[in-house]
Amino acid sequence: MATGIVFDIKEFAVHDGPGIRTTVFLKGCPLRCLWCHNPEGMDVRPQLMVSENGCTHCGRCRQPCSHPECRPFGRCIRACPQGLIKVAGRRMDAEELAQELTGQVRFFEGGGVTVSGGEPTMQPDFLFGLLDGLAGVHTIVETCGYTEEEIFRKVTEKASMVYLDIKHMDSGIHKKLTGKGNEQIQRNLSFLLSQEKPFLIRMPLIPGLNDGEENLRALAKRLSGAGALERVEFLLYNPFAGAKYVMAGMEYPLRDVDGDNYIPPIPADAFEKAGVKYKIL
Amino acid sequence: MLEASRRGDHHGYRKEGQFPPAETLAGLTDMERVTERLCQVLEAEEPPILPDETIVYTRTVRGLPPVYTDEEWEKIKETHFIHEQGRVCNISPDYGRVIQNGLDKERENAARMLEGADKTQTVFLRCVIRSIDAVLGLAGRYRAAAEKAGNRAAAETLARVPHKGARTFREALQFFRILHFTLWCEGEYHNTVGRFDQYMAPYFKADMEAGRLDEESALELIEEFFLTFNRDSDLYPGIQQGDNGQSMVLGGMGADGKEVYSLLLKLCLEASRELQVIDPKINIRAGSETPIEVYEKGTELTKAGLGFPQYCNDDVVIKGLVGCGYAEEDARDYVVAACWEFIVPKVGMDIPNIGAVNFPRLVNDAVLEDLEGAPDFESFYGKFRERLGRECERINASIHDLYMIPAPFMSLLMDGCVERRRDISLGGRYNNYGFHGVGISTAVDSLAVVQASVYGTGEITKGQAEDVVRGKGEEDLLTFLRYREPKFGDNNAITNELAVRLLNDFGEAVKGLRNGRGGCVRAGTGSAMYYLWYADQVDDTLSGHRKGEAFSANYAPELFVKSKGPLSVIESFTKPDFTRVVNGGPLTMEFHSTVFWDGDGVGKVARLVQQFIRHGGHQLQLNAVNREKLLAAQKEPEKYKNLIVRIWGWSAYFVELDREYQDHVISRQNFSV
Repeated sequence: MATGIVFDIKEFAVHDGPGIRTTVFLKGCPLRCLWCHNPEGMDVRPQLMVSENGCTHCGRCRQPCSHPECRPFGRCIRACPQGLIKVAGRRMDAEELAQELTGQVRFFEGGGVTVSGGEPTMQPDFLFGLLDGLAGVHTIVETCGYTEEEIFRKVTEKASMVYLDIKHMDSGIHKKLTGKGNEQIQRNLSFLLSQEKPFLIRMPLIPGLNDGEENLRALAKRLSGAGALERVEFLLYNPFAGAKYVMAGMEYPLRDVDGDNYIPPIPADAFEKAGVKYKIL
Repeated sequence: MLEASRRGDHHGYRKEGQFPPAETLAGLTDMERVTERLCQVLEAEEPPILPDETIVYTRTVRGLPPVYTDEEWEKIKETHFIHEQGRVCNISPDYGRVIQNGLDKERENAARMLEGADKTQTVFLRCVIRSIDAVLGLAGRYRAAAEKAGNRAAAETLARVPHKGARTFREALQFFRILHFTLWCEGEYHNTVGRFDQYMAPYFKADMEAGRLDEESALELIEEFFLTFNRDSDLYPGIQQGDNGQSMVLGGMGADGKEVYSLLLKLCLEASRELQVIDPKINIRAGSETPIEVYEKGTELTKAGLGFPQYCNDDVVIKGLVGCGYAEEDARDYVVAACWEFIVPKVGMDIPNIGAVNFPRLVNDAVLEDLEGAPDFESFYGKFRERLGRECERINASIHDLYMIPAPFMSLLMDGCVERRRDISLGGRYNNYGFHGVGISTAVDSLAVVQASVYGTGEITKGQAEDVVRGKGEEDLLTFLRYREPKFGDNNAITNELAVRLLNDFGEAVKGLRNGRGGCVRAGTGSAMYYLWYADQVDDTLSGHRKGEAFSANYAPELFVKSKGPLSVIESFTKPDFTRVVNGGPLTMEFHSTVFWDGDGVGKVARLVQQFIRHGGHQLQLNAVNREKLLAAQKEPEKYKNLIVRIWGWSAYFVELDREYQDHVISRQNFSV
């Protein structure tokens, strides 16, 4: 049976698609976006998330223990009296997870399941197993598009809808911002544009990094006339993006970006001309 | 007017009451004392006419004079069970009938009943009549004051009501205000509002049809009326300020079995949302067929952060009440008492909060005394069930010789009292008691440990379990218990089944009981303030709950449990059969206000509520969490594990955020206030 590493399951995720939805977050991502707000989604391996807020520094987690599940972390994950230590990343069976989610189907009138990450296509067998198990349930796969065309086509085929994240239209800048060029992503976008499965484009707007007019106009132009495109959703940058880095013991690269009172410079005329609807979240 | 009300401008009219001491009442019957006091209070009132108001009546005299001397009261308490303050409370009168008839007609009726009445009955009827006269007297003074102030709207209204029945919505609202005001003055408390949209419908409809009102002017009038509930409420504190029982019930099944959702209901929700004041507290009756628009309107109100509406499920409650012996038509008319207890208006003198079962203590007692000798979980649970039965019997037996201070004016508003010539304090058509069920999640989670870890895997020995409930558990074990799964609310089979069983057995335990007034005892899932009071009586529990911590309020997962999410909580908490435990007590869920930010969020929460009702849940209360709560969460993160805040394209558990992010969320909240 296909298994995979999941770092979170969020019920009643109100901003991940239509209706009442549960979002499953798969661990592991090929990109390293500077603004990533789910740092525990980057590495596919399970990792510790330690919330410092509430820690009394009692030292219990540092004392040796004999629990096998604690071994990889060099620290006891069961000892914290405040319950502040958690492991992000749990191996799950696709079929069992699908069954559990199908149990929520009564809630899903007009809603369903969203698979996000990390990058769900990093664990294709698990992803497909999950989607197969969720036949009859409305599914959305939210992907960065950095995956082989064959996998991407299969995602489009199996999911009810695709949410594709576009970070930047210029490959060179894309590489600076995410660690990879965007050719693969654009190829997959071309595929989306050529077919009929409904999809949605999401773009985070990071002040000074990818919110330039040229980039946004290029996006509008690229999406012009796309029949299956529902709309573009712009996700406003907000300094809270860095919140989980401390817990994951990682450094947040964009500490100095100021997102307060940010007004997105979206060239409405370009989107209107392209016939592309957009929404700011 | 709203601002003046918030500032408490009208408090400038307040004065201390100068009343003769209770000794002067010597020689009067208890009923006569109450009416004497009511007359004194109403006579002491000096009618103020506030700027711009059209619905008048404001309390100017602070405090009510006692009916008994301290010594007399002590003596009564020696031989009687006294519920709370000893007054009639927490019931729902028939405002509709009196508003329709007018007090002149009601007075004639009471006078007619004097014929053939015995001595006690005569005293009762004379008290009713005297009370009516005192009410009419004050109304006359208000009318004169309104005329003097040039307030034509109020003067004209008072020229009609309360002498005669109301013809217009405005007259009906003023009439209600007079009746409600008088109940408080008589000394009753937790005076509920009942099915406002039902009994006000004829007047509202007539005005709309005749063009005397349109939606805009009706809304304005309702808002003015709602403000009247907040005018004197500082004089009516319960356990805490705001605990005053001014609960209004909207929607739901009519006497003909059809659901009624009217324009009046919609306007009431809108008025409450616009005003953002805590009274009246709105309850919506819903069922599987309730249109989504009702939930959407309700959710708009939830978004305002007031902690209501509360939803009640007709499909469950009516069936449950019929099972308790209520007639179908009375059950269909149900309302909520001060908080959430299901009661029947007009004819019920139920006391739905007279006792409370401390479930975690029962489980702990069973662990201490029965675990060692029980060979398997079934035997252990059987012993626990016996304990539960004995505890319900004990509580019931402890309530005997109930005495309530008479309430002649309230009796006028309760159907059949005048005809029977009998005060409502002595009983109504229904005289049932209700027992709260406190700490249900803690008990379920503890039982799950006994089942799975003591008898199942054996990873916890009986000795260790006993040590825990004695407060002598090892720290590591307590930590393990606290964060182990499953917990009730995770939608797992073990705790779901235990909860079903526990509540069924609670229903069974009270089933055969008869109270001292011949009524039955109803089991419920509410906690009232016992979630604090009873927690003090319990050591550590096997659920990982620590001594000194509060239980969750009402029917909700334990505070320290980080649940999987609202869908799992609803799945778990709707599993039990609430027709067997129908005293009331809502599942309480909290969402951060940012969940409601855009129209999508409101629509989705509305769907969630609809799903709760369709899943067979009995009662639901949703909160949009506010800034105060966030600050409290910073101080005691343990208690707010499920507090969700929206960050940016994602959500977080507030307590898991670092301080700087928390502070930021809080400061952002400030901007929106």
